[in-house]
Amino acid sequence: MALLTLDHISKTFGGLNAVSDFSMEIEQGQICALIGPNGAGKTTVFNMITGVYQLSGGSISFDGQNLKGVAPHDIVKLGIARTYQNIRLFKKATALENVMTGFHCRTKANMFSIVFRRKKTLEEDARIRAESERILDYLGMLDKKNEMAGSLPYGHQRLLEIARALATQPKLLLLDEPAAGMNSDEKKELIAIIQKIRKDFDLTVLLVEHDMELVMNISEFITVLNYGAKIAQGSPGEVQKNQLVIEAYLGKGERK
Amino acid sequence: MNTNVKSGSLVKWAVTALAVILLPLVLPNSYFIRVLDLVGIYILLSTGSNILTGFAGQLSMGQAAFYGVGAYTTGLIGMYLGWGFWQTLPCAIGVACIFGLVLAIPALRLKGGYLTLLTIGFGEIFRLVMNNWVSFTRGPSGITGIRTVSIFGFELATKTQWYYFIFAIAALGLLYQRILMQSRVGRAFIAIREDDQVAELTGIDITRYKIMAFITSAVYSAVAGVLYAHLTGYISPDSFTANESNFILWAAIIGGLGTYLGPVVGGFVMVVFPEALRALGSLRLVIFGVILMLVIIYYPKGMVPFFQQLGNRMGDRFHKGARKPRKEGGE
Repeated sequence: MALLTLDHISKTFGGLNAVSDFSMEIEQGQICALIGPNGAGKTTVFNMITGVYQLSGGSISFDGQNLKGVAPHDIVKLGIARTYQNIRLFKKATALENVMTGFHCRTKANMFSIVFRRKKTLEEDARIRAESERILDYLGMLDKKNEMAGSLPYGHQRLLEIARALATQPKLLLLDEPAAGMNSDEKKELIAIIQKIRKDFDLTVLLVEHDMELVMNISEFITVLNYGAKIAQGSPGEVQKNQLVIEAYLGKGERK
Repeated sequence: MNTNVKSGSLVKWAVTALAVILLPLVLPNSYFIRVLDLVGIYILLSTGSNILTGFAGQLSMGQAAFYGVGAYTTGLIGMYLGWGFWQTLPCAIGVACIFGLVLAIPALRLKGGYLTLLTIGFGEIFRLVMNNWVSFTRGPSGITGIRTVSIFGFELATKTQWYYFIFAIAALGLLYQRILMQSRVGRAFIAIREDDQVAELTGIDITRYKIMAFITSAVYSAVAGVLYAHLTGYISPDSFTANESNFILWAAIIGGLGTYLGPVVGGFVMVVFPEALRALGSLRLVIFGVILMLVIIYYPKGMVPFFQQLGNRMGDRFHKGARKPRKEGGE
């Protein structure tokens, strides 16, 4: 059974159909991509999966559970984590604190237990601190742990978003344009990182990306959106040859 | 190294505690100590403001209402039921929780200027109700004859005894603030301050944590109100005006929003300065206002970050050869 199933979902904003009758399935362990020209509705799909938007129609199920009416923070707890197109870190917190915040949904301390069950709280905190450091170390930025997230260089901020997402211990990781603003060396590094975390954290990855080089390199399955509707799906090879996709990206040639 | 740092901070705390204990003994008369009592109350008030606004990022300009909730719960329970401090304190905390929730629910939907307006309105509504519900609260003439606090049969009589009592509670308040902000809950507050939508998408139930921030802040303010009512023995709506709310917020801002010791510095500045400027007569509030504006223009992050920078710079100059690594975290 698929890990994530989007079943004929649609989203309208007033009279605008941002996403219409869109279906997609993602198998456990896959790296999938959702591509399409600007304004095709890719980020809207992400926002629907993560519960930011209510669906106008259709349904989404994840790991056998229907996500209808599930609050965004509970969706995180079920195992969906994401990063953002424009980096959105907790800027005035340290890199380590950003990652530790990711463990929120996996920990229990509350306003009373921090006083009355002090020992347990400290143990829990020490555990997630160590695990957060391990994640930072894994991504090669342990030396930056005490720096304010907002003052890190761009590439590290991108990585830190991934680190924070990994801290929520997801089954499915949604990456919203992870390669935006990266040069080709950085992109190669990113590809390696995505493949590495998929294996080491037992993840399924869905990415939205403009960069075709990255998408074709990394994806096992590609879905193409245009004007909120699916126009193609398949392996990178298949999608590249698809006439509709070529037209969506390059426009239709005039017949002579 | 580690034990060194630990014993170093232990010495620092011991010196601070000793200074706080000895302070009233070196002051010339009880007027100064009375001012310090109010500083202690202000430390609690601005800690409440600091948690809500400085850490959780919810700007509240209605803190005087929570302060008033504490004071009026004390006054009314004393008047109608004749209960003392140890009974009214839990009642006041309970009532503060309810008021915190009442403000939090509409506040969940609002941000920025709209939230500010809501909190101002909340503060004014509270004051107006206390002012106009004469049959219940005695209105503008206020409630008199509130008894002092008795601890195991020992009644707090002098301003110095009150000073120790208030500062012990303020110290507990500061300690809890620190524990809270270094915990999972504190990280959730900071995440909400930084970007509440992302906080939600990182697995934080922001509705719940915003409500918790409002309630915590209400409880701090209400405890301050309980102390104030017992200390002065008299309360009236005039003590809980919008201007009072502004002072409480200013205390948190001047000290440094989102710092652990900001409320101490802010509470001190906001209480002591207006007193110290009394000699200037009617000009004093103008001058005080100008001082506050200058501080906020030149040190928008507040006094505590400024002192830290100063301390670091002097420390660097001091240890020119063997530079120490800077202290971890602890902003």
